[in-house]
Amino acid sequence: MIYLELFISFLMIGFTSFGGMSMIPLINDQMLSHGWMTSQEVADIVAIAEMTPGPLGLNCATFAGARTAGILGALSATLGVIFPSLTVTLLAAAFLEKFKENKLMDEALYGIRPVCIGMIFAVMIQQSMTNYAGTLLGFLSWPALLIGAVSLVVLLKFKWSVPKTILLAAGLGLLLGGF
Amino acid sequence: MKKDQMARTMDVFKTFLKFGCFTFGGGWSIVAQIQKEYVEKKRWITDEELLDFTSVGRSMPGLMIGNASVLFGYHVAGVPGAMAALLGIVIPPVAIMLGVVFLYDLAKDNLYVARAMMGVRAAVVPIIFSALLKLFKSGMKDAACYAIALGALVLCLFVKLNNVLIVLLGAAAGLMIQEVRHRRDLS
Repeated sequence: MIYLELFISFLMIGFTSFGGMSMIPLINDQMLSHGWMTSQEVADIVAIAEMTPGPLGLNCATFAGARTAGILGALSATLGVIFPSLTVTLLAAAFLEKFKENKLMDEALYGIRPVCIGMIFAVMIQQSMTNYAGTLLGFLSWPALLIGAVSLVVLLKFKWSVPKTILLAAGLGLLLGGF
Repeated sequence: MKKDQMARTMDVFKTFLKFGCFTFGGGWSIVAQIQKEYVEKKRWITDEELLDFTSVGRSMPGLMIGNASVLFGYHVAGVPGAMAALLGIVIPPVAIMLGVVFLYDLAKDNLYVARAMMGVRAAVVPIIFSALLKLFKSGMKDAACYAIALGALVLCLFVKLNNVLIVLLGAAAGLMIQEVRHRRDLS
């Protein structure tokens, strides 16, 4: 049954990957080996997943499921990809709450928090490299840099919310994108 | 279910539905959104707890933002809270994506869509940065923390090490550093 196959495929993708771009090779494998998509279509999903909200893995699951077997297909694939969150992470959540007051847990978290800061820095650098790439001096996009600067000011100085900032940035993109 | 837990679950579901509409850039902006809404405004969690959810969420299999949502939801309202957060964060992208599938060829090459998206992508880094600024103080207690953060940054960027390993290395470093300090204090 196609729905079960989609569910199992994305369940495997979910359990063997750790978010973001690490999912692409796995998705590529599953889609091509089942004959659900061509590699051109896989490349297209990655581009489209970037344009819509939500993490890449979720967007790919919805897209692949819907193209293969309609809305029910999309739901089966989506359920597969979020299954690790529903099981493993839920157990981890209970574990984390139970041992929160534990001294060893506290010591481990002392080391884990800076790791998180380091990882966020890494994400920012990776995102900057694609989001501000353009033609200025051969490698920078000045409209993107300008929009980035404006976003930073409204966020930090005027305390705008994230949705409001994103809408402003989309508007500025429409205005400046032609330059 | 207690009344308070019920109210919290509903609040989480509604708020995460809103978050779900704006999780661009691999979902990392959700950290900034939780920080603003639940650390600063409602004060349900602390910056430290948000850092814990993010790093533990990142080291679990599957979607980082799904995992972070489950960890947050469970913390504030138990299993119903975890479900509410996960559903809330997942429904908007799925609904939008289903729409896109039917407009696949239209949206893909549309000039105006591409321009608006250029703007949105340009805002992603400042959004992540605004969250980072606030989390910085609570994560970085002393010089050893800076060394750990720098190590994690280098491993993420240049070594392509699995996230689970990086988080486990951080935990090991934390245990060792704190243990050495305890012994030094005792002697």
